[in-house]
Amino acid sequence: MPNLTINGVAVSVPEGTTILSAAKQVGIHIPHYCYHTHLSVAGNCRMCQVEVEKFPKLQTACSTVATEGMVVRTDTEAVRKAVRGALEFLLIHHPIDCPICDQAGECGLQDYYMTVGLHKSRYPLGDKIHKKKVQDAGSGIVLDAERCILCSRCVRFLEEVTGTRELQFFRRGDHSEISFFPGRPIDNHYAGNLADICPVGALTSRDFRFRCRVWFLKSAESICTGCARGCNIEAHFHEGVLYRYKPRVNDAVNRAWMCDFGRMEYRKANEARLLAPFVRENGVEKEMPWGALMPQVAQRLSDAVRTHGADTVAVIASPQLSNEELFLVRHFASDLLGTMNLAFTRRAPEDGFSDDFLIHPDKNPNSAGARLLGIPGEEAFHAVAGRISRGEIRALVIFGNVLGAFSEKGTLELLSKAPFIVQVGTNEGVVSRAAHAVLPSASFVERGGTFVNCDGRLQRFRAGFAPRGKARNTIEILVDLGNRLGAGWSFSGEESVFRALSRSEAPFRGMTYGSIGSLGREVKR
Amino acid sequence: METVLTTHFADERYRGIDGYRGKGGYGALRKCVSMPREAIVEEVKKANLRGRGGAGFPAGVKWGFLPKDLSRPRVLVVNADEGEPGTFKDRLILSHGPHLLLEGIAIACYALSIHRAYIYIRGEYAREARILEEAMEEARAAGFLGKDVLGTGFDLEVTLHRGAGAYICGEETSTINSLEGKRGWPRLKPPFPAVVGAFGLPTLVNNVETLCNVPWILENGGERFAALGCEKNGGTRLVGVSGPVVRPGIYELPANANLKNVIFDVAGGLRDGKALKAVIPGGSSTPVLRADEIDVTFDIETMAKAGTMAGTCGVIVIPEGTCMVRALSVLMNFYAHESCGQCTPCREGTGWLKLVVGRIEAGQGRPGDVELVLDVCDNMAGKTICALADAAVMPAQSFIGKFRGEFDRHIAEGKCPFGNRF
Amino acid sequence: MSFSLSEEGLAELDRLLSRYPDRAAAVLPALHLVQSEHGHVPDEAIAWVAERVGLSPAHVEGVATFYTLFERRPRGRHHLQICRNLSCSLMGAEALVAHVSAKLGIRPGETTPDGMFTLSVVECLGSCGTAPVMQVGDAYHENLTVEAVDALIDRLRAEG
Repeated sequence: MPNLTINGVAVSVPEGTTILSAAKQVGIHIPHYCYHTHLSVAGNCRMCQVEVEKFPKLQTACSTVATEGMVVRTDTEAVRKAVRGALEFLLIHHPIDCPICDQAGECGLQDYYMTVGLHKSRYPLGDKIHKKKVQDAGSGIVLDAERCILCSRCVRFLEEVTGTRELQFFRRGDHSEISFFPGRPIDNHYAGNLADICPVGALTSRDFRFRCRVWFLKSAESICTGCARGCNIEAHFHEGVLYRYKPRVNDAVNRAWMCDFGRMEYRKANEARLLAPFVRENGVEKEMPWGALMPQVAQRLSDAVRTHGADTVAVIASPQLSNEELFLVRHFASDLLGTMNLAFTRRAPEDGFSDDFLIHPDKNPNSAGARLLGIPGEEAFHAVAGRISRGEIRALVIFGNVLGAFSEKGTLELLSKAPFIVQVGTNEGVVSRAAHAVLPSASFVERGGTFVNCDGRLQRFRAGFAPRGKARNTIEILVDLGNRLGAGWSFSGEESVFRALSRSEAPFRGMTYGSIGSLGREVKR
Repeated sequence: METVLTTHFADERYRGIDGYRGKGGYGALRKCVSMPREAIVEEVKKANLRGRGGAGFPAGVKWGFLPKDLSRPRVLVVNADEGEPGTFKDRLILSHGPHLLLEGIAIACYALSIHRAYIYIRGEYAREARILEEAMEEARAAGFLGKDVLGTGFDLEVTLHRGAGAYICGEETSTINSLEGKRGWPRLKPPFPAVVGAFGLPTLVNNVETLCNVPWILENGGERFAALGCEKNGGTRLVGVSGPVVRPGIYELPANANLKNVIFDVAGGLRDGKALKAVIPGGSSTPVLRADEIDVTFDIETMAKAGTMAGTCGVIVIPEGTCMVRALSVLMNFYAHESCGQCTPCREGTGWLKLVVGRIEAGQGRPGDVELVLDVCDNMAGKTICALADAAVMPAQSFIGKFRGEFDRHIAEGKCPFGNRF
Repeated sequence: MSFSLSEEGLAELDRLLSRYPDRAAAVLPALHLVQSEHGHVPDEAIAWVAERVGLSPAHVEGVATFYTLFERRPRGRHHLQICRNLSCSLMGAEALVAHVSAKLGIRPGETTPDGMFTLSVVECLGSCGTAPVMQVGDAYHENLTVEAVDALIDRLRAEG
């Protein structure tokens, strides 16, 4: 454990720690562009130069390993001049087109100009070198070579993470330019990360471009619902609209990355939403207030149980639900309705794609949680489906929008056999087109809870904003409905449900939201 | 005086293996294969041989950096990427004494248990590459290279690898990247090539001239070699003289030859009765000297005291009447052209220096431009991965430092007082 | 992808590939081979070489454009490359460039309309003691004078 001082502050770090990381530990930010925690060290932007006693020249903090007794200074005039100089060099050919640049507000050039630059331009406008702008670089990435500061993060990402190497430096000297070979643009499932790691506006996301200035965005810690990997993400939103996902660093799960499929999952919070409860009578949708609809639904369910027996009622859960929701769903089915007809069904993969990195074949975030909570999966679902098809089910509650691998036609055919179907769902789809009562639920950014990922890691996602329209939190819907069936639940919010869950369910025993933290923890097996 | 390298260069036949062997060539290799390997290295250390590529690092010490552990194969990379303006000595060796290099390679490899050597030769030296290829064929046929060298069971594969036009590839980690099929970007150090070099293997990189001294050292002893030079630099130096002198060319001289004598005696002084204005003593990167500063010897320490460097001993003679702004502008074009583009200060700084020095020369300089050049230099010097930025900065600072008046006149008069020509 | 080398070129490339512990090291030799057969490195050759050495076309393009000897576009039959670095400039390189430029009616970087000559100014060729120097193809022409360069150009033109 070398001991060193940085600006006079003593710090002790593990062997092999760089000056840049050591400084971070004591709250000293050393400017940098090329350095990235999850890529190899390039040391070429020269922004992180610091003074190290006994070294005649300034050293790059990103590449210099801390040693015992090292005396580092980041606040001397020599350091300030070198860093200001490096920033000035980076800006001499930069187009300074912030007003029309989508990176504005989260741009490394803007940030450091305000903190270490503030120099007047000494380079004539007319002598700036021009490079290719607004190029479609493939996979949803837009490349503006003029804004590029040649830090090589993107090149290293494509070499070290995806191994696809679509981007490279072409030419040399001040004519160096990041580009792709004509006809061979970026083509991999992790391209969105390029826009994240680009410290300037050179690589931007076509999906996000010009949709919202970043300073309006608020952020919530979340978990990607695209597959069972459970990549840690930040959900960025503004005024009830979810704008984008960004990966959140978690070395136990997704390091600093996420896939492009997962990245586009955010759209489901905005598109084709079920925003008001309604009933379908003789094929006609009729909006109905919650207060009027909930008693009717409760009544129909208890009537079915009373008249035809609990065996004629079924509940189909979804691994898109949180552990907290599934916990209540299980009680709802087993204890309140008293039926054995409970199963979860998985969203089938659209193209079944998976890889050996992040993309998991199970396109649901919480299959593992459903199993741990004792909700049976595919086999049980097929048994329930069989009963539905034989007309044995009089009342059916469906969470979510899909029935396993059934086609749209197959689903409608199956559902036509059930005389009463309640759906609790977020998005319009085949189930909401067949259901007799539709209870709109909050999207994953409008509610909170926990998922268990494919490796048995319990992770928490948080609500960013209140449910849109008249949609309600699933837990709220379940509690309301459950209490009408005599549950006597007093749960308020997901944490209260989790407390109950962690008391009764062995894999979660003793855990709290506090102990899960931001990065999650493994469940007991 | 006694010469080490060029003794037989006047003899055309020396280029072929028979001519070379006729002068005792490959005798040192024969001698070495019956010596303990450490004894060979010891002899090179005793010789006080310093790298001839420009930086002057002690060769024996560098050899000693290779790990003792022989479990991983190691590699020799021969730096024949001569490109420093004013330098043309390796080209002379390659075309006149290719076997001298091959023998030096064989001895170094044998001594250091290296079985693979790559000669990285600059792409423009196509003729020299052909000469080397031929010599390698001959040496392989004669059993000096290839499998089972001289029946010792020692295998040595030598491959000639042609560069393709990049000055930076003379920087040793850049040479390695280029050899590996990459852009010639210098690498961050550590790790040093001796630990992680070409193809991830421990690697020794030596200049052509450095290795060519090795056979003589082993033939005649390190001490004798050391005695040919000066205290801290054994042997001779190939001094190249270019510019308008009577006899430009390469001269093999003691390591402490006097620069003034080199120009006025060895090279016969300036042509056409021209007067001397300035001298760049060791290749274009080394700080320029005024005519009154050249009474210095080539040894590394004396040159340092004079504020410059022996570098590659490429002496560029600048006559009176030359516009120093134009001369600097030529050099600034060069460094901007050759910057690899990796580090911010060099990539942008070399281009900026080219722009500002160019506009001063064109008569479009503005007040403050000279200070601007110096400030840009300050923001570049010592702030990059390799020394190319420094190589550009040193001439800029020294030209301005010693000929400031010419820069100021260009700006004040709004034109080149020398008529925009050499 | 229709590009390929001649039979001899392919055999030479195979020989080169065996010389390095890593196929990627054959990028420069492969590009040299391509250029010696085609006079420049066409786009299709970049992808072809990339496939041969197991790299992406972007990597090979990055390499090809880093080194000045690789010509990515066709140029004249004879490539006249005059060194303009300091030693050559001190020995009259600028006048030589101006002369050749006037004689051929092209500026540096241009090719004569008949496709015969491309004129370039280049950086140090390592021929400072025999300045000024011009490289044409692989060959160096040293200690050049206006008369010598006239004679050389006339000869090259006559050779076609």
